[in-house]
Amino acid sequence: MSEPFITAKHRVLRRSVRAFCIDELGPIAAEIDQEARFPWEVVEKMGPLGYFGIQAPQKLGGAGLDALSYAIIIEEVSRVSAAIGLCLSVHNSVALYPILAFGSPEQHARWVPELASGRRIGAFCLTEPNVGSDASAISATALPVEDYWLVNANKVFVTNGGIADVCLIFARTDPQAGRKGISVIVVERGIKGFVVGDLEDLCGMRANPVSSIRLYDCQVPRENLLGRSGQGLAIGLAALDTGRIGIAAQALGIAQAALDEAVRYANQRQQFGVPLARHQAIQMMIADMATDVDAARMMVYRAALLKDQGAPVSRAAAQAKLFASEAACRVTDLAVQIHGGYGYSKAYAVERYYRDARVTRIYEGTSEVHRMVIAREVLG
Amino acid sequence: MSVHMIVCIKSVVREAPQGVGRRTPENSELNPYDRPALEAALRLKDQTGGRITALSMGPPVGIEALAEARAMGVDQAVLVSDAALAGSDTLATARVLGAAIRQLAPFDLVMFGIRTSDSDTGQVGPQTATVIGLPFLGGVKAIEPETDRWKMKRQMDDWEETWQVTLPAAVTIHPRAFLPRPIPLVGIAQAHDRIDVQTWRLTDIGLKTDDVGLAGSPTRVAKLEKIKHQRTCRMLAGEPREQVEALIAELTTMGKIPS
Ligand SMILES: Cc1cc2nc3c(=O)[nH]c(=O)nc-3n(C[C@H](O)[C@H](O)[C@H](O)COP(=O)(O)OP(=O)(O)OC[C@H]3O[C@@H](n4cnc5c(N)ncnc54)[C@H](O)[C@@H]3O)c2cc1C
Repeated sequence: MSEPFITAKHRVLRRSVRAFCIDELGPIAAEIDQEARFPWEVVEKMGPLGYFGIQAPQKLGGAGLDALSYAIIIEEVSRVSAAIGLCLSVHNSVALYPILAFGSPEQHARWVPELASGRRIGAFCLTEPNVGSDASAISATALPVEDYWLVNANKVFVTNGGIADVCLIFARTDPQAGRKGISVIVVERGIKGFVVGDLEDLCGMRANPVSSIRLYDCQVPRENLLGRSGQGLAIGLAALDTGRIGIAAQALGIAQAALDEAVRYANQRQQFGVPLARHQAIQMMIADMATDVDAARMMVYRAALLKDQGAPVSRAAAQAKLFASEAACRVTDLAVQIHGGYGYSKAYAVERYYRDARVTRIYEGTSEVHRMVIAREVLG
Repeated sequence: MSVHMIVCIKSVVREAPQGVGRRTPENSELNPYDRPALEAALRLKDQTGGRITALSMGPPVGIEALAEARAMGVDQAVLVSDAALAGSDTLATARVLGAAIRQLAPFDLVMFGIRTSDSDTGQVGPQTATVIGLPFLGGVKAIEPETDRWKMKRQMDDWEETWQVTLPAAVTIHPRAFLPRPIPLVGIAQAHDRIDVQTWRLTDIGLKTDDVGLAGSPTRVAKLEKIKHQRTCRMLAGEPREQVEALIAELTTMGKIPS
């Protein structure tokens, strides 16, 4: 089937990324999930190839690709290992991107080449034990003291937390100013008072070292403020707009992988003397899955394309994230169903896809929050 | 030492369910057997310096394969494309490539994939070498540059041959000898954001319409038929050990495994 939106560049990119992921991540995807192990051996190859600076400008060491290329890369990586897709999505779109968009030239020079080459890994630290969807209620503080920020924070569910070197911390720089008192401070791993908590024992995405990060009286240089004081929530929202394209692409990749496996299995497994694929009930499932995957892809690519055109992208990105994540859950659920008992066993990959898909409806804004965002845009 | 390597590559049809079909960007890709040839050239360039030209003959979709070669690190890309070329057999193709290679002189080494995944004759490499009178070595697994004759290795059954070859020469590259490197993302961005592929017509390489296409092709595919394989299934009986022995005996008798 011929595809709209796609150019020669995207085709080459897709083939090339897919080949790399099948070769490098394919053989270990199940094992790193089971052992909850971050595959440094592959990540160290991805760095020099540009996976950690997909949209960063070439003069700062990035690959200088467009948002559509970014979506395709996250899709293809997630198709093989969603946990590594998550690592790249968070690093590229909610850690590196805000530094590019809101950072000063000095901050660019200081962090971008290191992040874009994968020599250092980024994290986005907003969620706290008592604060999730309602981001404006955070209690972390970064108080101006002498010539530094005195930062105290307890951040949980930090993707890449166990390995991150450069963390965007959302904290109150002006506790009296409410929503307008929240800022983003870039905190580097290793400074005094920086503690990485235990890794979460997750249902899916297990190869990603999601952890808490706690900061106890950290003294962070004043020049580590990203953007202006009080601009935190605006930076967060801008980051999540791009982030949503990444998470949507990730959900799409998982769904595509589940569809691929379901088709393979349905053609191969025989019951009642014919392959499963000959049974109409299975055909209906496959048709629904293929349609969900296709629709998700069109929405994800459209959102990316709008971003490349500089058009407003909030609603398109929110819709793509909402739809792709829910489609991924439907598709992986049916893929398990088509595999029968084997689908519920770790002998087949679909159970991993089923677990991995689930969180795409939760992070970077739950489905419910996305519906609120979309409804607000639609209702005006 | 600064060498000029020319790698001949083809855009192939990825899947042709009915045997033949129109080539579109969606169903075409760089011939997988050409990737090791490009890799061999890139490694030589890493070692000795110099430059690499990728050369292709075919319809305009070949530009995508050439851009991909550029993304891998090839310095220059040339597509010979002309309506008159339609229907060219391997000899006519070899004439075209030969003429273009002459145009690209001076050069030291002309490299080909061992075959294509969509028409699999394995003839274009050796025929091109013959057309322009170059020494030729097939299925090369290793290339060692020397000041005089280059050392090249190839495998024959259980023997490894080391050859000394005077340049310029032409070679086909063993498909498993040079595992192609993953393409850096920035390479793809740079090669595609500004496509830098020269397109040459027949007149640019000094050939006439009669030399190429159907008119210049002494052979043509008269018929294309899908082969149906007869499959049978026979169950071997006994303990697993007996079954394995029976299987080995059977395969040995059939000549499928050495005795
Ligand atoms: C694997 C993983 C990785 C993560 N990575 C990161 C990260 O890198 N950085 C980071 O900051 N966070 C991260 N998170 C946290 C994630 O973004 C939050 O879990 C998410 O925003 C939801 O917050 P919560 O869990 O506190 O749920 P809550 O906000 O408590 O929500 C609970 C339920 O109530 C619903 N709800 C809440 N408010 C409303 C409302 N007003 N109307 C209707 N329904 C509502 C929600 O949709 C949800 O169903 C990660 C989480 C996971 C599981």
